[in-house]
Amino acid sequence: MKYLVGLLLLAPLSVMALEVPIEGTVQSRCVIETDTPGVYGNPNAYTLTTSPTDGGVVPIVRFDVTLADAYKAKITHPTSFSASPTLNDTQTWTGSTEVSSMSDAGMSGYEAAKVEYGSSTEFDLTVAGSTWFKTSSSATNGGDKAFPGGTYRAVVEAECIAK
Amino acid sequence: MYRKVILLLCTTLLCMGISAHEMTPTYPTWGVSHVEGVYKTRIALFNKRADVEFYEIGVFDDTWGNVPFVSQYRIVHMPYLSHVNIDIYVSLADVSKAKYVCSISKLRENSDKKPLVSSRICSKFK
Repeated sequence: MKYLVGLLLLAPLSVMALEVPIEGTVQSRCVIETDTPGVYGNPNAYTLTTSPTDGGVVPIVRFDVTLADAYKAKITHPTSFSASPTLNDTQTWTGSTEVSSMSDAGMSGYEAAKVEYGSSTEFDLTVAGSTWFKTSSSATNGGDKAFPGGTYRAVVEAECIAK
Repeated sequence: MYRKVILLLCTTLLCMGISAHEMTPTYPTWGVSHVEGVYKTRIALFNKRADVEFYEIGVFDDTWGNVPFVSQYRIVHMPYLSHVNIDIYVSLADVSKAKYVCSISKLRENSDKKPLVSSRICSKFK
C-alpha cells in the first residue's frame, strides 16, 4: 500500500517533464571572418597606405575550415576605391597578402606555397583549423598630386573555394 | 594645409568587429526536383556579419562562366545571425556544367558600417 501511494505521488512529476530538443549538424565548412579592421594612414598628401609605420592598420581576415585539404583561400587586395571624392589623377596601387597567424603548426608551409597573380594571392588550405591572413594596401596619386579631401574606401575580396 | 587634408583622408578600411560568413555543404549534390528535367540542390547560409544584409547566389562552370539557374531569390536578404536554406534549380542540360555554387556578400556603398571586406564562399559539385 505504501508503495502504491508513493507511485501515485510521483506520477504528476513525470507529467511536468518537458523535452526541448536542440538539433545540430556537424559537417565540413569554410567560414570567413573579418578579424581586424583596416585603416588607411597618410604619410603624405598623395599616399594612402595601411602600413602601421605610416599610421595605418593592416586588415586581417580569418579563414576557418573544418575539413583538411578541401578549400583554397583567395584574397585580392584593392585596385580601386569603392568610394572616394572625384579624383584628380590616376592611382598606382600596390598590395600583398601573407599569413599572419595560424592555429596549427602544420600550416607553417602556407606562406612559402602561396601563389600570387595579379592582385590576388591563393593559399591551399591543406590543414583543418584557423588561419589569419593580413592584406596590405597602398594607393599613390599620380604626379604626386595631393588626394582631394574626403572619405576613401577600398574593398579586400576574401574567397574560400572548395577544391 | 596638407595636415588638414591628411586628417580628413585618414579613412577606415574596415571598421567592424569580428564577423563571419558561412556556407554549407562543401560538396553539394544534385537531386531530382518535383519538375521533370529539373535538378535541385540546397545550400545553407549563416550570416554573422553585422555589416552585411544581402548575399548573392551564383552558379558557375569550371571556367567560372555563369550557369543558368533558378532560385526563389538571387539576392537573399539575411538579417544578422540568421540562417537561410536556399534551393537552387538547374535544367538537365546545365546540371553537368555546374561546378560551383557561390554566395557573395553584397556591400552597400553608402553604409555607415563601411563593410570593406567582400566575402565569397564557393561549394563544389564533384
